[in-house]
Amino acid sequence: MKRFVLSVMVLLLAGGVLFAQGTKAAVQYPVKPIELVVPFAAGGGTDAVGRAIAASLKEILKQEVVVSNKTGGGGSVGMIDGLNAKPDGYTLIVFTREVVSLPLLGQAPFKTMDFKFLGNLNIDPPVVVVQSTSKYKTIKDLLDDMKANPDKLKFAASVVPNYYGIQLAMTTGFKFVTVPFNGAAPALTEVLGGRGDFAIVGPGEARAQVEAGNLRPLAVMAESRIAGLYKDVPTFREAGLDIVSGTYRGIAANPALPEAVSRILEDALAKVAVDPAFVQFMNKAYLGIGYKNSAEITKFVQKDIEILKPIIELAK
Amino acid sequence: MDSISGLLLGFSTALQGGNILFCIIGVSAGMLVGILPGLGPVTAIALLLPVTFRMEAIPAIIMLAGIYYGSMYGGTITSVLINVPGEAASVVTCIDGHAMAKKGRAGTALGVAAIGSFIGGTATVIGLSLLGPPLAKLALGFGPQEFFAIMFLGMTMIMGLIGKSLIRGMLSAALGLTLAMIGMDPMSGALRFTFGEPNLMDGLDFVVIAMGLFGISEVLLGYETINAEKRVERISKLLPERDEWRPTMGAIGRGTFLGFLLGLIPGANAVIASVLSYSIEKKVAKDPSRFGKGAIEGVAGPETANNAFAGSAMIPLFTLGIPTSPTVAILFGAFIMHGLTPGPALFNENPTLVWAIIASMYIGNAVLLVFNLPMARLWAKIAFIPERILYPIIVAIAVVGAYSTSGSLWQVGAMLVAGVVGYFFKKVDIPLAPLLLTFVLGKLMENTFIQSMIYFGGNVLGFFARPISGTILILAFIVLGFSIVSAWKGRRRSLGSDTEV
Repeated sequence: MKRFVLSVMVLLLAGGVLFAQGTKAAVQYPVKPIELVVPFAAGGGTDAVGRAIAASLKEILKQEVVVSNKTGGGGSVGMIDGLNAKPDGYTLIVFTREVVSLPLLGQAPFKTMDFKFLGNLNIDPPVVVVQSTSKYKTIKDLLDDMKANPDKLKFAASVVPNYYGIQLAMTTGFKFVTVPFNGAAPALTEVLGGRGDFAIVGPGEARAQVEAGNLRPLAVMAESRIAGLYKDVPTFREAGLDIVSGTYRGIAANPALPEAVSRILEDALAKVAVDPAFVQFMNKAYLGIGYKNSAEITKFVQKDIEILKPIIELAK
Repeated sequence: MDSISGLLLGFSTALQGGNILFCIIGVSAGMLVGILPGLGPVTAIALLLPVTFRMEAIPAIIMLAGIYYGSMYGGTITSVLINVPGEAASVVTCIDGHAMAKKGRAGTALGVAAIGSFIGGTATVIGLSLLGPPLAKLALGFGPQEFFAIMFLGMTMIMGLIGKSLIRGMLSAALGLTLAMIGMDPMSGALRFTFGEPNLMDGLDFVVIAMGLFGISEVLLGYETINAEKRVERISKLLPERDEWRPTMGAIGRGTFLGFLLGLIPGANAVIASVLSYSIEKKVAKDPSRFGKGAIEGVAGPETANNAFAGSAMIPLFTLGIPTSPTVAILFGAFIMHGLTPGPALFNENPTLVWAIIASMYIGNAVLLVFNLPMARLWAKIAFIPERILYPIIVAIAVVGAYSTSGSLWQVGAMLVAGVVGYFFKKVDIPLAPLLLTFVLGKLMENTFIQSMIYFGGNVLGFFARPISGTILILAFIVLGFSIVSAWKGRRRSLGSDTEV
């Protein structure tokens, strides 16, 4: 009995020490390497953004940030890791627009708002491109032809269901044929080969062919024009159509993350967005920097659920 | 800049100390991942990509490209010696390569594979440097319609892989097609046969399935006889017999052509090149019954085809900026990370870089020939490692390889299940090659068929309105017709041999 009392006391004491350390550690975050889960394969766009964020975070937090690619389930396998991980801030995930689309499709074992969104760093509005020898010189030419010849024009889709294509069809009311491909590269090949009439892809994905003069960008699905190579390309809004869309990527974690840790990470991500090394990498790789803080991105994601909901209903 | 002066410029850059060093590092690493079962070029390049962030672009890409074509050489070695494919594109090499080894001709199998790999690899690099741009333009005219026709022709070749028993062969082929159905529907994105398992959403991973069916099953079989006294295969002769040169060079020639052609087409991969090459060799051979028992063409053809494919897949990358296969897509990512955009503009913007990489591929292929031909005896020592040490190593590497495909243990489980399935298939004499062919071709065939149907507005006859797809399809029907006629004639024989071992 004496022994029992003693051990209980030791335990209590140890617990007290641990607890004290626990609160202290929260302020001293991070004290060990952080794992950043990228839910897509190495070599892709999400991987590039994830690694660039990791490199800058390492400098800012003065701690190793290890990137691990965990693929499958269209991104859900990696993202669910962030929810299942201990809420200590040592496992973070890169989220993508799939965090919204997968639950709406009923294909994810989580709900969008289950996550704690710490910050958004990349936004890429897509560009409508046609072959440079095409008769479509402006977005108006393309839309006029689409209107005059319903179900004739071929849209080479880089992924299905294609939210960009559905949004275009929904907003204009025009009909075109969607041909599904597996990725931006084969979709662009179809347009270059003259079989597809147009494609809607990320600015970085079309860059090589636009620079080489093989593809002509007609319009961007952005709120305002994007700088650089595409600075002369009008937005859909300029053409009188309210079509704004795009992919976005940022960092999220388990929502039970302690407030103090969350604040450290949010501040660090704000610094990443203006870190010269990060900015230089993103510009070189043609990825758009679009920083939104935790509150802003949470609101943005909520809004995107409303935008995608009717589109996905139509896709189903 | 014309090709010759470009190439000279390239060699002067590629031969600089640092660059040639990274070329050798790249091809050595490629050889190694090729030899190690389960680790393939996709994984290796993806893992090494972050390491190259701080490097200069030229040595970095020279090294990564070296891993790619280097792995095509290395894959042969374990396939021949221990019947475990080192790399997915070498799976069919197991069939006749290992049969040759059992006959004491492992040296010749390795030698022929090295020669074929060198010829296939170098011929396509020459093609890349001289004919790249016009060829790539031609390949752009190749749409899903043509690709479907090629896949259809490929499917008719399945008869060549079926072996002795039609029923068992078809069982295997049907299973392969069924497994290919798992994942997202290409038209709507709806999920099929995933049973709510997120890891199945993107379909089964080819590398994982191939490693299980061929590699793990072989280890399981090997444990049955682990205590038996075994005759160690000796590496006697590296070169084929005099009367074998003609068929061998024929197979190498066809393999080069096939690999080169497939490399240009978006969506193909090195496995398709090697599996189709094997089927074609069996079709054109005077005596197809030799296949499976150590036919030299069954090694020379596929091993040449996968190397030719690796070289040729660079052509659309360099000249059009289009990655045609999964590995090349990661190389594409490497370019992007170094701030370079592959494509026609790169030849003008940065000719030194482009030509240096092309030149490094000549150098790399020569280095690999040295690694493989004179050093074949050294590699063959792998076969001398006692099984009780070798098998655990194989399993350990395969587990790491399966894990690295997606970063989850789920894939390891899938590989082990496939291993047990493969073991029982081998026990009851069901051939595994048809499963492999239908698994690889099935998904691509479905995609391209749906794409074509959309273009044709649902009219199947549309295929015949296009000259290339029409010709290939007619050819496929002729092949099919001949197969049916010859099967009819030999009906009694083929059913009779059902029970034959």
